[in-house]
Amino acid sequence: MFDVGRLAFSAAMKIFWPVFAAILAAVAVIVLIATKKISLWRIVDLIIAAVFIYAGVLKAIDPVQLAHDIDHYKILPWTIGVALAFYLPWLEIFCGLALIFRLFYRGALSILTALVVVFLVATIAAKVRGLDITCGCFGHASQNWSFPAHLALDLAILAALAALCYCSVARRGANASPTPMRCHEV
Amino acid sequence: MKFSLPRQALILVAFSLVPGIGQAIYLRDKISWRSPIPPSEMVSVDQARAWGDSNIWIDARPDDEFARDHVPGAISLNEDHWNELLPQFLATWSPGKKVVVYCSAQSCDLAREVAERLRKEAQLPDVFVLEGGWEAWLKKNR
Repeated sequence: MFDVGRLAFSAAMKIFWPVFAAILAAVAVIVLIATKKISLWRIVDLIIAAVFIYAGVLKAIDPVQLAHDIDHYKILPWTIGVALAFYLPWLEIFCGLALIFRLFYRGALSILTALVVVFLVATIAAKVRGLDITCGCFGHASQNWSFPAHLALDLAILAALAALCYCSVARRGANASPTPMRCHEV
Repeated sequence: MKFSLPRQALILVAFSLVPGIGQAIYLRDKISWRSPIPPSEMVSVDQARAWGDSNIWIDARPDDEFARDHVPGAISLNEDHWNELLPQFLATWSPGKKVVVYCSAQSCDLAREVAERLRKEAQLPDVFVLEGGWEAWLKKNR
């Protein structure tokens, strides 16, 4: 009886801190939006930037594994795969930082959108060809994710990037009139 | 100073080259640019044959290809029947033996994957991949 209780407590503690952190983060976001300290689109900016910086750092730590993951797609020669394995993580990190600091913002959005589109096409093509691939998107952290989970996350990221691109174009409109999504708030 | 979209993208692409190239130079000994298998884990047909009885040949190809022809004395160990074939292979292995894994050709990835699994799962040292695979063996033994 005591062991069951201890196991249950241990399991609860394992999920407690992540759930508590998620609740805190959600409350902080709601408060910031409600008090108009930050717009929803800026939150999306920061989340997308964080995702790409996190993914880039995980991949930059182990470029050898990333080279093998790229090779598994059987699209590119090994040498080009190695070059991309050393280069792409840093491109993701710099583009993520560009979104956060709003430097070369549109350029970063374009690059990240192109990367996600190319990656989605490559993943779907590999699956259609019957290749059993490990995504490699988040290094070892995403090794055991299922294909539908990967696809869902990538489509969500693509949708967010598309919305940010739309807002970016809207902000540059000559009249700068508010769009239905209020893209002009920063 | 405002940059156009293409120029912004170009600047980001160029900036990212710097740490990428730096990392590639720093890790140049950790990865081979010519092949997925590091040179230290590859062995030629001549080298493997020179080891004589101290090596075990592993055929990583599918069962039907193994049945058609294989290196004399080779043991079949492929990912399709890994759980059944691994114990049979381990029964023949002993410390000090070198393991040489091959598949159909240089471009085939199966040998590298089987070799990696033997190193990680079976914790075997001295596991090598045959350079050129079965094709190279046939050329040397015609």
